[in-house]
Amino acid sequence: MRLTDRRFAALLMVPAALFLAAFVAWPIVRLVMNSFYDISPIAGGPRTFVGLGNYTTALASSGFRSSAVRTLAYTVLVVSAEFVLGLATALLFSAIGRRSAVFRTIFMYPLMIAPVVAGLLWRFLLIDNSGIVNTLLARVGILHSASDIGWLSNSRIVLFSVAIPDIWLTTAFMALVLFAGLQNIPGDVIEAARLDGAKGWTLLRRIIVPLLRPVIAVTLIVRGIDAAKAFDIILIQTGGGPENASQTLSLLIYRTMVRFGEPGLASAMATMYLLVMLAVAVAAVVTIWRPGADA
Amino acid sequence: MNGLEIRRPATRTLLWALLVTVVVLYAFPFLYLLLTSFKPPLETLAVPPTVLPSRWTTANYAAVWASHGVPASFINSISTATISTLLSLVLAVPAAYAITRFRTRAGRFFVMLALVTRMVPPVAVGIPLSSTISSLHLLDTPTGLAIAHTTISLPLSIWLMSSFFEAVPDELDEAAKVDGCSRLGALWRVVIPVVSGGMAVTAIFAFLASWNEFLFALLLTSVRAQTTPLAIANFQTQFGLDWGSMTALAALYSIPVILLTLLLQRHIVAGLTLGAVKG
Repeated sequence: MRLTDRRFAALLMVPAALFLAAFVAWPIVRLVMNSFYDISPIAGGPRTFVGLGNYTTALASSGFRSSAVRTLAYTVLVVSAEFVLGLATALLFSAIGRRSAVFRTIFMYPLMIAPVVAGLLWRFLLIDNSGIVNTLLARVGILHSASDIGWLSNSRIVLFSVAIPDIWLTTAFMALVLFAGLQNIPGDVIEAARLDGAKGWTLLRRIIVPLLRPVIAVTLIVRGIDAAKAFDIILIQTGGGPENASQTLSLLIYRTMVRFGEPGLASAMATMYLLVMLAVAVAAVVTIWRPGADA
Repeated sequence: MNGLEIRRPATRTLLWALLVTVVVLYAFPFLYLLLTSFKPPLETLAVPPTVLPSRWTTANYAAVWASHGVPASFINSISTATISTLLSLVLAVPAAYAITRFRTRAGRFFVMLALVTRMVPPVAVGIPLSSTISSLHLLDTPTGLAIAHTTISLPLSIWLMSSFFEAVPDELDEAAKVDGCSRLGALWRVVIPVVSGGMAVTAIFAFLASWNEFLFALLLTSVRAQTTPLAIANFQTQFGLDWGSMTALAALYSIPVILLTLLLQRHIVAGLTLGAVKG
């Protein structure tokens, strides 16, 4: 008996589909179910159905609301800094041309470093009065003394500080992808614009950025989603402190679950977080990628 | 190169100076980590810190390699990443082939679903996933952790492999079938050899995703299957950080993958920019 092509295609997809169903979809179902219960942190302990109780508790808690705001601020900060730095670097590579290849190679190495290593490394660089960054800043005269900035101990600036390793780690990704995009812009388009007198800022704003729009959209989405999920890079630097000032949603959910032993409440928080992420993701995929729809 | 290249010599000199500065600044943090790892252990805590070691020594490396659980954590990291990479490829290759070759509605739906999976925050599925893994009796084993890591790398692998299959003309499969291959035979004997380069790229990304992962490792392992990122974090104690050991272990853990990257950089850039640039 010969299978139709459609059946054959379905058979090839079944293993991957089953895997994702068992290890992604099913855990999500359990997460959502857990969010309606008050659960004892002890394995096999009692579960009481509380309806939407966990959701109202979460929404009423200022910790949850401020973590949500912090997650958004962190994401916007990381992605916009990376984008500006990445685009500037990509333009620099393009302006220099082919001979920048060696430098592009050196530039990409942080891509392979574990976030937990990057977080620890920057914690080491930024440690208040003994970090090399403050020491160097003081030596060149930018800081009065090395202990002037408490990067990771000042709750007003800590959210910026914990974002630095993330920006450092992935500016290379932005730069390389945008550089590849720049290489795909036909040379005569740029020449024509130059002949019309466009240069510098105008050339960038009117010609280059609009032509790069699809590439920019995809990189911003990919990085935005990743930044919103950041966990280890922050955990290892501050553990969410001081005074929870660097506690994003991932950290809050983790601590609510593991430290404070409230799996039900944590599940409700995670469900809301997941729903927002999925809504953003689906909107982005449908409007921008449309995978498989092109011919 | 296109019209963005600047040719005026004076401007070029300036741009070169800028580029060198940017790259040196960008490379400095990791360079500093390497330098620190070669300092005598006490010097890593010096206030104010020094840049160059006063005396080069491998004492930190010797100490960290002798600490409890560190060599074992490397073995765990290698086995977890290897299992996860194999699992990703075995699942992603046929799925991606089906998606690009047959273009069914189910295929389109599936690729969307796989992409959406990428957006699921690990912290949300971590705990329920750990009870699933636990009911399979795979908690605190490299296989259990590899399964969790595959939930991250599989969507990426399907996406990458789809792009590689699209670059192979349909005529190739057709010719194989005319020559008497079954559909599965055409995939296995004709198409797979052609996309082997793409499979290598996909394998690197899957391997790295597992190699560098932290949260699932934290939730799914305790002692036996602990991977090196956890071991690195463990040098953070209540007495402060043991920077000498930490930097040495971080260097040991990062250098193999950095070398791999430099070796395969052309392919890696291709993998990073696929999708994005095509999009």
